[in-house]
Amino acid sequence: MREITYLEAVREAMTQEMERDETVFMIGEDIGPYGGAFGASFGMLEQFGPERILDTPITELGLTGAATGAALVGMRPIAEIMFMDFTTLASEQLVNQAAKLRFMFGGKATVPMVLRTPAGSGTGAAEHHSQSLENWFVHVPGLKVVMPSTPYDVKGLLVASIRDNNAVVFVEQKLLYKTKGPVPEELYEIPLGKADVKREGKDLTIVATSIMVPRSLEAAKQLSEEGIDVEVVDPRTLRPLDEETIVQSVIKTGRVLIVHEAVKTGGFGGELAGVIAESEAFGYLDAPIVRLAGKDIPIPYNRTLEYHAVPQVEDIVAKARDMVQMKV
Amino acid sequence: MAIDVIMPKVDMDQETGTVARWLKQNGEEVRQGETILEIETDKVAIEVESPASGILNGILVEEGETVPIATTIAYILEPGEALPDAAPAAEERKTDQKVPVRQTDWEVSVTPVARNMAQATGLDINTVSGSGRDGKVTKKDVEAALASPQPFGNGEGKVYATPAARRIAAEKGLVLKSITGSGPDGRVQSVDVLAYAAAAQEVARTTIVPVPEFVSAPSSGYEVFPLQGMRRTIAERLTASYQSIPHINFSASIDMTRFNEARAKLNARADQNGSTRISATALLAKIVARILTRHPWLNSSFKDAQGEQGAAIHLFNAVNLGIAVALEEGLIVPVVRDAANKSVAQIAAEFKDLATRAREGNLAPSEVREGTFTISNLGPFGVEEFTAIINPPQAAILAVGATKPKVVPDADGQVVVRPIMRITLAADHRVVDGAVAAHFIADLKATLEEPVLLL
Repeated sequence: MREITYLEAVREAMTQEMERDETVFMIGEDIGPYGGAFGASFGMLEQFGPERILDTPITELGLTGAATGAALVGMRPIAEIMFMDFTTLASEQLVNQAAKLRFMFGGKATVPMVLRTPAGSGTGAAEHHSQSLENWFVHVPGLKVVMPSTPYDVKGLLVASIRDNNAVVFVEQKLLYKTKGPVPEELYEIPLGKADVKREGKDLTIVATSIMVPRSLEAAKQLSEEGIDVEVVDPRTLRPLDEETIVQSVIKTGRVLIVHEAVKTGGFGGELAGVIAESEAFGYLDAPIVRLAGKDIPIPYNRTLEYHAVPQVEDIVAKARDMVQMKV
Repeated sequence: MAIDVIMPKVDMDQETGTVARWLKQNGEEVRQGETILEIETDKVAIEVESPASGILNGILVEEGETVPIATTIAYILEPGEALPDAAPAAEERKTDQKVPVRQTDWEVSVTPVARNMAQATGLDINTVSGSGRDGKVTKKDVEAALASPQPFGNGEGKVYATPAARRIAAEKGLVLKSITGSGPDGRVQSVDVLAYAAAAQEVARTTIVPVPEFVSAPSSGYEVFPLQGMRRTIAERLTASYQSIPHINFSASIDMTRFNEARAKLNARADQNGSTRISATALLAKIVARILTRHPWLNSSFKDAQGEQGAAIHLFNAVNLGIAVALEEGLIVPVVRDAANKSVAQIAAEFKDLATRAREGNLAPSEVREGTFTISNLGPFGVEEFTAIINPPQAAILAVGATKPKVVPDADGQVVVRPIMRITLAADHRVVDGAVAAHFIADLKATLEEPVLLL
């Protein structure tokens, strides 16, 4: 199969959906001639024109409100927020309006919009351009939260998100944009709420999100040389969550390490740990549920500090090894 | 500060350990967790790790020597540190290497402070070896025992285990407390439970000997008594018991002087109050029940199961004492429930009622069920000593003979006449090891001979 980048998969999903469905359009800052802060919509203005690639002023609240309104009256907008950090500004429309309207109108109104935004650190962009705030939105009933880790998942999940009749927060990862992987040229959907076992193993389950999936896979590869057989589960959708796949994996291995980039306190790992502890998997746990997550600090500008602020491959290897060797 | 290297307890019922081989010698540098010696118990040989990093010194126990568990056998010192004053030279120690090995917890004496410390920390004082005069357990011994690695967490007697280990133990009917954990801080892991279950399974494999056919009958003829009802039940149960349970028997002679005195006093009081007189069986039952609470393996049941799954030993929380009653057509074993927590007067009254109704055939089925241990007293018939067959699914039965005046030597070696009773315990050897049964017998003997110990 042909290989394209994570970023190209984003663009291809949007382009093909816009070609297929006239109600799909894009709205965001610098998405037109500039092609988006990371180039996701590069060339799309030329193909679809300024009516469907809507450049806005610097107003996250305004553009999210516009997308919410358009979705209410039958369009399928894709709003791009340049950095996830700025979703704080979009939150009023997203959390208090987009997420609620369907319920407030007794299901007679729907908000089929996607809010795409890149999260994560590693680019030296410091405190205001490096956060992973996905769990804020996981906490809001009425929103779906998607966090793909591979180009293949990006395309299938973004297509499904565009076609979904609910507001979907689609969280991309900056460092993953340049990673390549096989992606079919034709349109396909990956259902929201379906986890993916990225690697099968029997000694330990790692549940990882976004960039922590490739890092966990690399860690698993290194650990396999020590005879440690790691299973890596990628939930792909944080809400709705595929609890069954995770629980079954933990039942199989008896040990679970949760890895995410967002800070540990109040992060999605706590939710996962709770789901596992409440489930049938509890009686199969042979070690405490362990979370490996971002440190409880804003992402520092200093590159060395930034590197150590979030889990790296060597951290995952060390923690997983300790768990399997019963040191935890 | 000098860190003690002690003789570890690695088996459930281990009293002593033998130093098989020192892998490190005096003056050698050792790291924490490094293997420094090999010991042997009567079951296994095992490597012992250094409890600390430093210099090994003051080896007190030579290869081949046997010492009680928790005895200090060497020290780990910091560089330049001298041996502690208390450490006798190996030569000196050799002269009294016969450290008394405690036989029962009745013989152990404990200083008040040691007992208080043990209670406060939840330490079983019976697992601590005494280093004081005549093996008295002192504060120092309790401290040493507390400093030694505890096999199960410290959650005040709770077992430190993973959820998976708990689930598997529950599924297999295993007592988590009996399983040594290999996880961090001795946490019981699923692998420990599986290993324990596999070992138990191995022990449980018994050979069943085929019963020879009854080939011929005497020519003088015979009366036919159809095998039915109680007779059939007795036949089937005892055959199954004797065929499937490997019985072991232990006998002891008991000086009943004090027992008889105690019973006379109780009956003087009963006569005064007009309450039920205390039969010897009732007082014996009371004492046996109480002693059983300290020896749970005797108050247990071996649960065989189909295939590999589920076989287990169930240690019962309550002592439901079955007391055999002879009837014209056979025998029946009514059960005094939770006998350990009943007064002797209660037991006497209850047993009298049960026995009377048993002879009248008026026992409810529930009154003969769920026994956990049986006493069969043939003393009233003049039988001096006999062995009994275990009443399944119980793990032990106590056969009690008649108390007869016997000529015996007293403590000073003088010949005296004392009322002597013979008892014989039959136990399921799959559950009860010889030493476990011996401890029970010794404990029981001590208490029957001095019933005040029950207090």
